[in-house]
Amino acid sequence: MALVQQIQLQREAGARDRARRLTGSPALRVAGRRLLSAIPVLIGVTFLTFSVMSLLPNDSAQAILGLNASPSAVAALNHTLGLDQPFWQRYWHWLVNVLHGNFGTTLEGGSVNHELAIHVPTTLELLLYALVVSVALSVVVAALAARRPNGIADRIILTVSMLGLSTAPYAFAFLLIIVFSVKLTWFPVLSGAVAGPGSFFKNLTLPAAAIGFGLFAIYTRLLRADMVDQMQREDYIVTAKAKGVPPWRVLLRHALRNSLFTLITVVGLNLGGLVGAAAIIETIFQVQGIGNDLITGISNHDVPLIEGITLVFALVTVFGNLLADLAYAVLDPRIRYGSSNS
Amino acid sequence: MPVRLRLMSMRTACLAGAAAMVLTAAACSSSSTSSGSGSSTASSTSSPSSAPTKAGGSITVLESSGYSGAWTTLDPPNNKEGAATQDFMTAIYGQLFELGTGGAIVPDLATGYKFSPDGKTLTINLRQGVTFTDGTPFNAQAVYTNWMRDLGTVGISNGFSSPWPIAELPAPKTAPPGTAEPPAAGVVQVTGPYTIVLHFTAPDGAAIDQLFDNIETWIASPTALTKEGTSFGSNPVGAGPFQVVSNVPNNELIVKKNASYWQTGHPLLDQITFKTVGSDQAAYEAMLANEGQVYENLATNQLLTESAQHFTVENNLGTSPYDLQLNTAVAPFNNPKARQAIYAATNFAPILQHLFGGRYPVTQSFTGPGGICYQPTVPGYQGYDPTLAKQLIAQTGLANTTIQLGTIALQTAQDSMQALATEWEAVGLHVKQSSWPLSGLIAAFEANGGKSWQSMVQTAGAYDPATGVGVAFRFNSHSPFSGVHDPQLDNLLSEAAGSTQLSTRCGFYNQAAEYIAKNYYGPFFFTLAPSNIAVHGVSGPGITTPLASVAVVPTIPWEDVYYNPSSS
Repeated sequence: MALVQQIQLQREAGARDRARRLTGSPALRVAGRRLLSAIPVLIGVTFLTFSVMSLLPNDSAQAILGLNASPSAVAALNHTLGLDQPFWQRYWHWLVNVLHGNFGTTLEGGSVNHELAIHVPTTLELLLYALVVSVALSVVVAALAARRPNGIADRIILTVSMLGLSTAPYAFAFLLIIVFSVKLTWFPVLSGAVAGPGSFFKNLTLPAAAIGFGLFAIYTRLLRADMVDQMQREDYIVTAKAKGVPPWRVLLRHALRNSLFTLITVVGLNLGGLVGAAAIIETIFQVQGIGNDLITGISNHDVPLIEGITLVFALVTVFGNLLADLAYAVLDPRIRYGSSNS
Repeated sequence: MPVRLRLMSMRTACLAGAAAMVLTAAACSSSSTSSGSGSSTASSTSSPSSAPTKAGGSITVLESSGYSGAWTTLDPPNNKEGAATQDFMTAIYGQLFELGTGGAIVPDLATGYKFSPDGKTLTINLRQGVTFTDGTPFNAQAVYTNWMRDLGTVGISNGFSSPWPIAELPAPKTAPPGTAEPPAAGVVQVTGPYTIVLHFTAPDGAAIDQLFDNIETWIASPTALTKEGTSFGSNPVGAGPFQVVSNVPNNELIVKKNASYWQTGHPLLDQITFKTVGSDQAAYEAMLANEGQVYENLATNQLLTESAQHFTVENNLGTSPYDLQLNTAVAPFNNPKARQAIYAATNFAPILQHLFGGRYPVTQSFTGPGGICYQPTVPGYQGYDPTLAKQLIAQTGLANTTIQLGTIALQTAQDSMQALATEWEAVGLHVKQSSWPLSGLIAAFEANGGKSWQSMVQTAGAYDPATGVGVAFRFNSHSPFSGVHDPQLDNLLSEAAGSTQLSTRCGFYNQAAEYIAKNYYGPFFFTLAPSNIAVHGVSGPGITTPLASVAVVPTIPWEDVYYNPSSS
């Protein structure tokens, strides 16, 4: 009996310890703070977008109905769409609806929720594909470059990465089309529906490459520079070499691991830039994502659609940066267990 | 951990630059010499001969996302993109009448029409024995049902108004002036199983022309309208040459042959896929990769030139000339001599040659080679005369003012405006240029009661000057987009629109063109004509033979298009 009680007491103590560690975990506290601070950020982003769109000279109803429409028809459509209401009233209605999960109606009469539901997954797939491949490749390539600074591999890699930095995604997209679609016919120019792994790779490889090449270039150069710096300046590297650790092991297990912090930071910062790239690339390849919708929405001055897409991109950026912060905790035990220097 | 970015050595920078140039050169050369798997390397001419007719097969037609490749619904009175999506609509619904080669009015689902002597009654006879693809009979009652939707609350709620001068129900007292209302009783009458009659409040000689690419020409199955309800626009049912297989708005529309189509042996194709593309460049590359067999309305000059090496290029017949509108309500163009100075300072021939490769004919009136009453030269038209221009500028003091010149934010219009400004500056004028998207342009016209603008580069005219963005749109006193307020000109245009005899109408339009020239109300440029490109082996009106444009691009009768790959 005493033994059973003792075991039970130990279990309870263990549970209390785990709970204390959980609630006291700096990583979780950071995540909580980030999520809380995301709320005013999201409101600010949508308010700013709404304000800018309202300030631009516009008559969406006239644009929809065309030059021939009578003034009374334009006024009637404006009223139907709620465009004759004051700015604050429109924004407030939109915000309240969003909090209830309703993103509103596009100026063409469709549901913004529906547009987002069918197109967001495609854009996320595309961006994830571009991001994962560019990060994975940049790690490999940067390690190759950093292994022998100023060697042949290093110079080639730096040249390629400079090309990536210099080439606009839309220009690179057309280059890819000419080589891989027109000449080699390996991939289509116009993306079709993504219905499985086969169609995923077939339809999204070129768009992902167009977006990812520039990212790969940035990540490679930063990672390579950081790793070279680590290898040349850090004492623990000297210690590892002195202990007889093979060079590749020193590079990958020590220098790379510490350099990943830089990479994670840059990846998080770049998430916002992916928005613009996605919009242009999706238009070129006709990928049915929200980037394409955004271009259409801007042309039509479709504020509900633009707001919905902006909110989605803001959410992606916020959560992306949150994941980056949590990744720090995974990589750095000091952050995970709440020690100093986090 | 500090991150230090390593500065690139000069050698590596040169390597990168050289590699970029090599890659770009290789891509450019491959672009101009490669041919897609479905296209021929034989050079093309602008007037290729058609391939031997062949029934069967399918093609993909690429449509620009900025115009015809954008649609939300295919239900006529709910389709605000109507004119842009005319290809889809006519493929599914057919038309009552077609605009054929040479401007002929070709019977389609209607077999004929007749005006009453006073021009106020129009009787249309419908084709017998036609059914919609769901088996519902196509008859006068079906047309009546559709017109009541188009002219009634459904069409009105989407901003459509009647193309004809018809009596409407009285508007509520609280409605603003000019509010559209449904047609009054008796305006549209079914007088027989296949006869429908329209009663106008004024003679309307352009009544049939006004049908082209207007929603009233597209007749939907009443049975399907009732059955499908609000989803009809996604699953439309018509009596046209094709029926819908799948419809993904703004992306892809697949249609297959209507086996019960009234015209024996047609359509010639089994299936058409209409696919949206983002740009001319993307469409061109897709054609090279054989992902499309036709692309409509290619506007990029450089690509038009390159396309001729790989594809059939058909320059269709323009109907809407560019014109320079001068606002006669405000200085400086309330002075006829100032307007004449502009005429004398403007030379469209070099603009046409340098910007558009001399591809289009210069015109002196609001008519184009694809439309009715085409009049390329007008008696008394003030031509280019820089010496006279300088004299008039000195007389009127035009050099002491800055002329506001505006246009819509489209490449073609902006290029033309820039070229004009250059010519004017060469004779001593000062010009301030502005361009806006559509909504901004409208605002610019309407600001300050129409007195804020001085000159605008626009288009004026249509297949029939009395329809669409026609001559009245730019020259009638009551139009908010007109710089002219002249009752005499209003009368001429009104008389032309009301005449049911084509020769009489053309007589009035010729008089109007001379009147405009005599009063220097605005010089005309040239008629931009849309170009369609197709892989060799695709043939048909608008693809291998020119068609007139009703609204921007011609309506291709897809039932007459065929694809014979063996001939390419």
